[in-house]
Amino acid sequence: MRAVDVQGVSFTYDDGTEALSGIDFRVEKGEFVAVLGSNGSGKTTLIQLLVGLLKAKRGKIAIGGRQIGSMAGSLTAEELYQRVGLVFQNPNDQLFAATVEEDCAFGPRNLNLTEAEVQRRVTDALAAVTALPLRGRAIHHLSFGEQKRVSLAGVLAMRPAVLILDEPTAGLDPAGEAQMMQLLKKLNREERMTVILATHSVDMLPLFANRIYVLDRGRVLQEGPSEEIFCHQEMIIRAKLRLPYVSRLMYEMKRHDGVPIDGLPLTIGEARAQLLELIPKEMILPGIGPGIEEIRP
Amino acid sequence: MMFDLFSDIFTYRDNALTRIDPRVKLLVAVAALVAVVTSARPILPLAVFVLCLGTVAALRVPAKLVALRLAAPLSTIAVLVVIQTFVTGTTPLFTLTFAGWTLTAKAEGLRLGLLLGARVLGALSIVLLLGIATPAHRIFQALRGFRISKDWVEIAILMYRYIFVLMDRAGDLAAAQRLRLGYTARGRALASFTTLAGATIVHSFEQAGRTHDAMRLRGYRGTMPFGPLPALGRRDRSLIALSVILIAAAYGFCEWGANG
Repeated sequence: MRAVDVQGVSFTYDDGTEALSGIDFRVEKGEFVAVLGSNGSGKTTLIQLLVGLLKAKRGKIAIGGRQIGSMAGSLTAEELYQRVGLVFQNPNDQLFAATVEEDCAFGPRNLNLTEAEVQRRVTDALAAVTALPLRGRAIHHLSFGEQKRVSLAGVLAMRPAVLILDEPTAGLDPAGEAQMMQLLKKLNREERMTVILATHSVDMLPLFANRIYVLDRGRVLQEGPSEEIFCHQEMIIRAKLRLPYVSRLMYEMKRHDGVPIDGLPLTIGEARAQLLELIPKEMILPGIGPGIEEIRP
Repeated sequence: MMFDLFSDIFTYRDNALTRIDPRVKLLVAVAALVAVVTSARPILPLAVFVLCLGTVAALRVPAKLVALRLAAPLSTIAVLVVIQTFVTGTTPLFTLTFAGWTLTAKAEGLRLGLLLGARVLGALSIVLLLGIATPAHRIFQALRGFRISKDWVEIAILMYRYIFVLMDRAGDLAAAQRLRLGYTARGRALASFTTLAGATIVHSFEQAGRTHDAMRLRGYRGTMPFGPLPALGRRDRSLIALSVILIAAAYGFCEWGANG
């Protein structure tokens, strides 16, 4: 049974803008899937359909094998919100309580859990995003990066099976960006949480995403693992995206300078390995490297 | 400046006042407000004003911030005293002629104006001290403890939370206008300000929509759930009783004791 199964879904806004046109989108349980697209490609519309904020005009959406909608047997709003959690792009849209603790407790209390269980979930969620020391703080005293992590904790406290994030690294500094992606990787790999991430930031994806969907003007242009996606450069350009910077460098060296690079490295680790093969061994200083951890692209 | 006006950083300091249960502080504040507002002489309100300001100074709150928070109400008090002086009463004090108008100040009006001004000042200083010694969310907790309508408390929480967001947004918009010379002439400044006010209202509507979506996704069904509050301890109850007795005694002394 798939975690998310979208078949032939279309959506047109009231002003006539066609945001999605007959798209298929599938995510298996425990996968880390990225929806990659430029501004206006339909990423946010797709996300809002998955969480039931918008209703599809055509097509079917199923979460964990059960459809969203008003037909018999479909998920109720309460069931849906327990299965799918959405982290908004702007944390201010999502953090509405006065303190971190009250905000994280909002969802569990709505589930009518005992206060002991509410507190346990709040502690676990804040610990998962390394925000336990922020527990008693007022929301408006938090930095942007802290607000982002607390907004993620508020959703984690609902213990959703599928976690959806809209541009989770937007507005973060490089350290905050790396921290956020590591958190998501940990949730996906250790907690087996299904993660769907909408972004137009390409550099991090090869390190984290199992599969990538490329969206352009409401259609899926391509779907597959990152090495497959980024070797279709024309498609990437058509989607108004770009290659990861390290891949672009390697591509330019291969194309313009004739450097014999095999395939197209997508991460610093891959690029480094390839370059080390090309550099004569006597030119490499003994006793240095390997061992650069691939934390950042 | 706007952020200073609403800033609650002093409420997060650790001192004797911030450690008291917010329900105790709220009850004592209400008792003091009732005493101040019903007093027939300005002594008690002025004494409360001096006491509260002294406490605020002891908590090392910058005088500039206190002056900023008192500035608007003080101007209202000044207007109140002037209006009462010239409108109420019969015993003339002095006469002013202004642009062909003759205005006579009266003793009864001045006395009433000063009494009303003293009451406002006293009440204001109580609220000022409460706001400096208690974070807003703890006041909301206390309100819930007193079974104030959940809807009202919920609206107050959301208003408090989004004041800062909208202030930030309005600040950014105002800076953008200023950088493009939006406030260089009086007429232009007025136009810029009205645009800013309109844009902030539109932002607040959009923000409300997005926040409601986020709340729905976390199971919101029309009422914000609140956690339980611990019962008031014996120490808290004693503190309430002692404070109310002291306020009543001060009220009795200032209102009747000085006469008799």
